[in-house]
Amino acid sequence: MRLPPDSRRRLELAARVAAIALIAWMVVRALAPTARVEIDERSDSRSLGAALAQWTLAPVPTSVHLSLTQAPNARDRDWLRALGRAGVRVTWTGDSIAATVIEVAARTDPAGGVHAYVSAPAGSRATLSDAVGLLDSVAIGSGVNALTVPIASGALDLGARGEHARAAPPDSVLPRQIVVLGQAGWEGKFAIASLQERGWKVSSRLRVAPGIFATQGTPLPLDTSRAGVVVVLDTSAAAYAGAITAFERNGGGVVLAGNSALAPALRALAPGRIGARVPAASLSFASATPRRALGFYPIVSLAADAVALESRDGRVAAAARRVGAGRVVQLGYDETWRWRLAGSGDAPAAHRDYWSAVVSAAAYRATAPTGASIADAAPLASLYAALGPPTVSRAPLAIVGARLPWWMLALLAALLLGEWGSRRLRGAR
Amino acid sequence: MSTFTFATAQYESGDWDSAPLVPPNIIDTIARYTEIEVNPTGAVVSLASPDLLRYPLVFLTGHLPVRFTDAERRQLREFLDRGGMLFVDDHNHDIDGVFHKTATEELVRTIGAPVLLPNSHPLFSSFFHFPDGPPTTTQELNGWGDNLVHKNLFAVVREGRIAVLYSSKDYSSEWGYHPENKRFQSVDNTRFAVNIVVYALTA
Repeated sequence: MRLPPDSRRRLELAARVAAIALIAWMVVRALAPTARVEIDERSDSRSLGAALAQWTLAPVPTSVHLSLTQAPNARDRDWLRALGRAGVRVTWTGDSIAATVIEVAARTDPAGGVHAYVSAPAGSRATLSDAVGLLDSVAIGSGVNALTVPIASGALDLGARGEHARAAPPDSVLPRQIVVLGQAGWEGKFAIASLQERGWKVSSRLRVAPGIFATQGTPLPLDTSRAGVVVVLDTSAAAYAGAITAFERNGGGVVLAGNSALAPALRALAPGRIGARVPAASLSFASATPRRALGFYPIVSLAADAVALESRDGRVAAAARRVGAGRVVQLGYDETWRWRLAGSGDAPAAHRDYWSAVVSAAAYRATAPTGASIADAAPLASLYAALGPPTVSRAPLAIVGARLPWWMLALLAALLLGEWGSRRLRGAR
Repeated sequence: MSTFTFATAQYESGDWDSAPLVPPNIIDTIARYTEIEVNPTGAVVSLASPDLLRYPLVFLTGHLPVRFTDAERRQLREFLDRGGMLFVDDHNHDIDGVFHKTATEELVRTIGAPVLLPNSHPLFSSFFHFPDGPPTTTQELNGWGDNLVHKNLFAVVREGRIAVLYSSKDYSSEWGYHPENKRFQSVDNTRFAVNIVVYALTA
């Protein structure tokens, strides 16, 4: 049935008006949504991945809430943070999440390895793993628990109560040689021996007679590219004070042992002045504190920036400070060799560890990067940082203006095509 | 800083005190050539005593058979394990003599067999230079003892350091005179003792 031309034009006009009105309505709806639909959504730790994908697509929620039993991984946490930055209010609850933290630092030790500082709920049993597998398990005490890991491959993983914290491997420390300067004597001999037995490379220049030195390796010139620490045994090394000071200010470590800080040229570096020598407090090394059987020079008048490392009967026996870019450790002891020889038990090993710890504390740390690695050292703390503290009650959820229905586009297309087809069929342009 | 004390080992068998003038002579030599702070009196220490661990360099000599007691062996082993150095000199200058045979047997039982020490070892250049190795003694040249000039010393080396230095050269006789008599010598024959002490203190 053919419609009269007027009716046909009226229908075409109506279709055109309807299409324009529909377009205008869609534009207005898109720009100024008015419809708000309350959606009671929730997600937990298991379905978080899928929920994130859903929430990222339109319709984008104005707020989401998570009821967590585990801290989200770094990827999901970053995703949630991005949602938050995009205007979505993200809230969470998760009282049962165990707080786990791990921090690692390379050991300045020829044997390598790392120090791991871990924390987890006190009383829990934690596991420490690396890329290869399980390394150790540890009963967690309160506060920070320190562990030494001789060999670690890749990131370290701390697991406790289902939570995992991961720390990237620290940069490798490149141990430099130790330089020992001073008078020939038993202290120098056994300090060198213990350091070498512990794996340190040691060069030394020990004065034997005026102008005559017993030299091992290449101790001089002092340079942080070659040496990490210089151990000054006594005042005879004052001849090198200028080089030692420059070395220290450039980042090198200095150990001032015995009475070496009496040398005026080295006094400026020392954490403190030296007092009158104190005799041994004990005749026997067979105690928990064997160094009580050693005499020492007490360190008095500590500099304001110095830190006491070891005290004996109220007197400071070891102290440290930072000067310039380097560190200075001052030891009051001048006869630790007696401990190595006459100490009870495995005194040589204890002496080796002691001297290694002393030079490690002062050593210049040249590092080599081990490569990037994904780390998540404190998942719960990172969750707080990303999303703020947990909310007590879950906020009602709403989503912005529902998506435009598909039929609206089909209707628009039908109106426009119908109007256009009708005009063309009747010969109009 | 610790004062260096020259210590002589006392052991139950044999004649440990057969060279009483060696310690004062070496002490004199150390004081004469170096600025090492040296104890003027020296010390005598029993091999079985824990006091052995107070003297990281100990001199042992004698003519007679050496048989360590269990306590001496145990203490000496401890001393050497901890880094002490024992200098043994055969006062007989006789590799077929009883001291040499028994002392080396005891060393083998205690720490291991001494091996030939090359004459290029740092010991021979630690202070004075002895490019030909250990200096020859008058006793060797006079044909006493085994009638041999020993070209080398022997040593037990641990961790790259000499733990036991063994001499068949009879330095106990060579150095056994009053220090004042050095003025009659054109070349001081105790100079090698300085090398031993400096090596012990620095290597």
